[in-house]
Amino acid sequence: MATGRDVRDMLGLPMGAGAGEQAKAAKKSKTTGGVKRMQGVAREVAALYGERPPPVAVYEEEKTYRAKRQNTGPAKKWVQQDFVNQARNDGLVLKHWRRKHAPAPPVQDGEDTAMEETDITGPYIENCGDFNKYNISVDLPTFSDEEYEAHLRSNDWSREETDYLFEVVRDYSYRWAVVWDRYDYQPGNNSALSQEGVDGDDGNALAAMPFAPPKQRSVEDLKARFYDISAKLMKLRIPEMQMDADQYSTYEILSKFDPLLERNRKALASALMNRSMDEVKEEEFLLTELQRINMAANRLDAEREELRARLDAPAPNTQIAAGLQSFTSSQALQTLFSQLFQQDRSKKRASGGGSGPSRLSLNTNDLAQTPASTVPGPISAVNRRQSMALPQSAAAQTPVRTLPPQQERRYNVSTHDRLTSGVSFGADRLVKMRQAKSNVQTQKIAAALHELGVPDLIPIPTSRVGEAFESLIGKVGKLLDVRKVREKEEGEIRVLEAMKEAKGGSSTSSNNNATATDDKRSTSISAPPADRRSSTAAPASTPKTTTNNGTTTSTSKRNEIPDSNPASPLDNESSTRRTSRDPTTTTNPDEDDDQDDDQDDEEDDVVDIDTSHPRDNEEDGDDEDAEGEEESRQPSEAPAHVSTQQQQQQGRKRSASEFSAGSASVGSGVSKRARK
Amino acid sequence: MNIPNSSTAPAAGEYAGDEVSAIVLDPGYWTTRAGFAGEDVPKSVCPSFYGQLDSDSGSQQLFGENAIHNPLGNLQVKNPWGSDGIVQDWETATKLWEYAITSRLTGAKPGDPTKNGLNDGTNTNGDAMDVDMDAVENQEKPLEDSPLLVTEPGWNTAKAREKYIEIAMEEWGAPAFYLQKTGVLAAFASGKASGIVIDVGASHTSITPVLDGMVLRKGVQKSTLAGNFVSEQIRLIFKQSQPEIPLTPHYMVKSKTAVDAGASAQATYKTFATQPTDSFRRHEEERVLTEFKESVVEVWGGNGRLSNGANEDIAKQMPGRPFEMPDGWNQVFGVERFRPAEALFDANAAVHDADHPKPKDDQTIPRLVQQAVQHVDADQRPLLLSNIVVTGGSTLLYKFNDRLSNEINNIYPSTRNKLFAPGSVVERKYAAWIGGSILASLGSFHQLWISKKEYEEHGPSIVEKRCR
Repeated sequence: MATGRDVRDMLGLPMGAGAGEQAKAAKKSKTTGGVKRMQGVAREVAALYGERPPPVAVYEEEKTYRAKRQNTGPAKKWVQQDFVNQARNDGLVLKHWRRKHAPAPPVQDGEDTAMEETDITGPYIENCGDFNKYNISVDLPTFSDEEYEAHLRSNDWSREETDYLFEVVRDYSYRWAVVWDRYDYQPGNNSALSQEGVDGDDGNALAAMPFAPPKQRSVEDLKARFYDISAKLMKLRIPEMQMDADQYSTYEILSKFDPLLERNRKALASALMNRSMDEVKEEEFLLTELQRINMAANRLDAEREELRARLDAPAPNTQIAAGLQSFTSSQALQTLFSQLFQQDRSKKRASGGGSGPSRLSLNTNDLAQTPASTVPGPISAVNRRQSMALPQSAAAQTPVRTLPPQQERRYNVSTHDRLTSGVSFGADRLVKMRQAKSNVQTQKIAAALHELGVPDLIPIPTSRVGEAFESLIGKVGKLLDVRKVREKEEGEIRVLEAMKEAKGGSSTSSNNNATATDDKRSTSISAPPADRRSSTAAPASTPKTTTNNGTTTSTSKRNEIPDSNPASPLDNESSTRRTSRDPTTTTNPDEDDDQDDDQDDEEDDVVDIDTSHPRDNEEDGDDEDAEGEEESRQPSEAPAHVSTQQQQQQGRKRSASEFSAGSASVGSGVSKRARK
Repeated sequence: MNIPNSSTAPAAGEYAGDEVSAIVLDPGYWTTRAGFAGEDVPKSVCPSFYGQLDSDSGSQQLFGENAIHNPLGNLQVKNPWGSDGIVQDWETATKLWEYAITSRLTGAKPGDPTKNGLNDGTNTNGDAMDVDMDAVENQEKPLEDSPLLVTEPGWNTAKAREKYIEIAMEEWGAPAFYLQKTGVLAAFASGKASGIVIDVGASHTSITPVLDGMVLRKGVQKSTLAGNFVSEQIRLIFKQSQPEIPLTPHYMVKSKTAVDAGASAQATYKTFATQPTDSFRRHEEERVLTEFKESVVEVWGGNGRLSNGANEDIAKQMPGRPFEMPDGWNQVFGVERFRPAEALFDANAAVHDADHPKPKDDQTIPRLVQQAVQHVDADQRPLLLSNIVVTGGSTLLYKFNDRLSNEINNIYPSTRNKLFAPGSVVERKYAAWIGGSILASLGSFHQLWISKKEYEEHGPSIVEKRCR
């Protein structure tokens, strides 16, 4: 059928605009026609939306019905099925409901139904083994008569009773509480039966005699007997050597059963159970108290830990000396203080103006009371930290009970300024003391100890042994030092004598030269500090004058070098240097004491803020530079002392000072000789 | 077909259940419960009291609720149970239990035509009857196709146990039989294999320690301070109060009119040609007292005993509860309502007179529990104390459990004592039966039955060996 369009086409007429529109309209209507028209109320609701439908499509909820029960034909038939349980051996037939068995291949309809009938009436008995998994029996050791006679006889237990015990244990599957409850051995019965045949009543009475009162066996008695037999049988079956780990542990448990212990344990348990209400309440109260105390202690520990961490924070340097060095300048101290102060303040704010004991950091008041200004005498850096770490209130609260020295010794009580955390062994300390900074030195110490007959391992290293050993080591150190000094001096003397011989009697200037050549570099570098020192160390006999604070700091700083490089204080370099450079100081002991004091001072002053001497800072800086160089060089000078042992510092220092005190004559003699 | 419904088979081995339509019989002093194993409630609950009609032609026994509440002139109401909590009158007990089973569960078997009373003529031929005796006996056995599980009190004697199996096997012809203690079953009903079962019934209170489904015999304790004792206390209180409170059972009242509290009743009473017997009246009174116990009596549940300190004053402050007797007499009971049950816990508080002396202190429930625990191995005590199962109708007394819990915590303050008392009344009253129902419907229980064959082989003594 030709449409108007075809006609137009044929006639060559142009397509009218109207026609195009028409086609479009047709298309449109087609597409709109495709949209499913809503029905009923939904349509009216949609109309309410106006032109713009909501962004969420509105679905008409489909009505859901419960799924139709699928009909799978006529109702299944159930029958009361006879069955026997496999666990029974008497063939008891019980009935349970089972789905009727589909008849075996249905061949012919008519006959099949007949067969079915016969099937039901016929004795089909199901063999039900579903529950066999619950039918379990316990394993029990067994023994033969010979074994019993040979190994298992007991004075307390007759064979019959033993058998009875095993029977009961089997019956009640090792439930000892039940076994004990039901254990009711009547000895008369068995023995009476066996004896009755022999001679009636008399025999009966006789037989009953040994067992006359039926024994009241406790659980422990029963267990003891049973375990004993079990252990013995186990050993018989598997020799001890061949048992594997499990078996052996079982064997051990069995053979080590102690009825008495068990009985005591049970008595305790029942006593615990039968406590009165008051006792229980008291215990509860004590427990809560304990918990409270523990919590408080933990909190305190945590706070202290935090404080320590905070004090260590600016320099995570584990070496104390190195850590301290970062605080030597007053500027650094200032920053540290402000840092602590800030933390303190922020913490206070956070905790809402926290109470007394939670105060952790320092304030100006504390600084005013620093031990440097108040506490006379030397305080180690460690001590100092401790005193800072402890809140004053806490320190005041802890009651210190002092014992007379005699009792202290008796009860082995020792007081410590500060206890390091964790456990340290006395033996370790002793071993550490043996080691010097250098292998050579260590070997020397070892040789000396060996000579003295001190064993390598000291048994029972108590603190007193440790102290004794420490003093011994100190003396050994001194000895070695003296030896070394002597060698050196002898060497010098030899050199001088050689020079003397060579030049033929010269003045003291040559002496000076000889020393200079001896340690040229150190002299040249440490000259300025030495100079300064000579100017200040002269009044250094009163080092704690406040005006001199800054200068003492710097001086002692310099003097610390030998300390941080342990061998030095007695290293004759410095001593000789001193003797040569500073002829005014005649006694070495004084010098050494000063040095000690100085060092302590220096340590005390770590947090002292001294802003009144800005010049000192520079000097300090200077000093540090010099030190650094000197330190870096010293190894080359004294390779024997390179391996520094921090732990030994204290001992070494002490020994050194003692040495210098004790061997003043040597030193002075040397110096005299040198001056000559 | 995947949706499980009532017609689909349960999954194999589900709950290990495999029921063999066993019958569970739980005879008690007040009621006898019977039902099929696997069900949750006993189908047949009938009173353990029976009526005996004595007439010249012999005595007739009537069983069931309907029979014993009928005020016949010469009806004696009796109970086959002895005062020691063990069946005394076995013959009647057998009939009673048979009634409990057959009336609702199995139904009466069609009797022999010669005996069912419908055929008069055959009576003349006595010989024929004798010949048929065997067949008759075989037919009469009511339990031929149901194994029977019977419950027994924890203190049952060996002789009584043998009697049970004899009845089941010989008289009822059960194919299989088992005897289990009520304590164990009550624990099972609460889903516990171990625990202490406190069963306060009508005639006896019993404490049974159970460990792994086995009764610890040494620990079993019983006393008569139970429901009947409380009733007795109420009677005494009624008698001793001024003026005496009249106790009139329902059957005597024809009509009543409302009276003020405490005023004497104004009711018209029924008249009987022959007065019902005393035992009948007593039993009827007992029903009123049961009602009284249910609605008025309260156990002092506060701290300590009622006599302690100001407890009595506090109790006096508590609002009273009204009770109206069948004849219209009514009163509000204040502190008196705490008294009857107090003696269960405090022997000194018992109301007593010349005929009814005070019970001994070691008869009270807390003492019994203490003794029971004392007879158990020390290691098991905490376990048992954390599983205390409370059952029995008398534990339904208001606040009974609060008091019990207080008392036990007083004795054993250092252990964790936990009471398990089923909330629903049925479960509390019939816990032993429900436990039996669970047990007898387990597939793993099949091997425990004592079969008829075994019984015939070993005789009644097998029950001692098998039902431990």
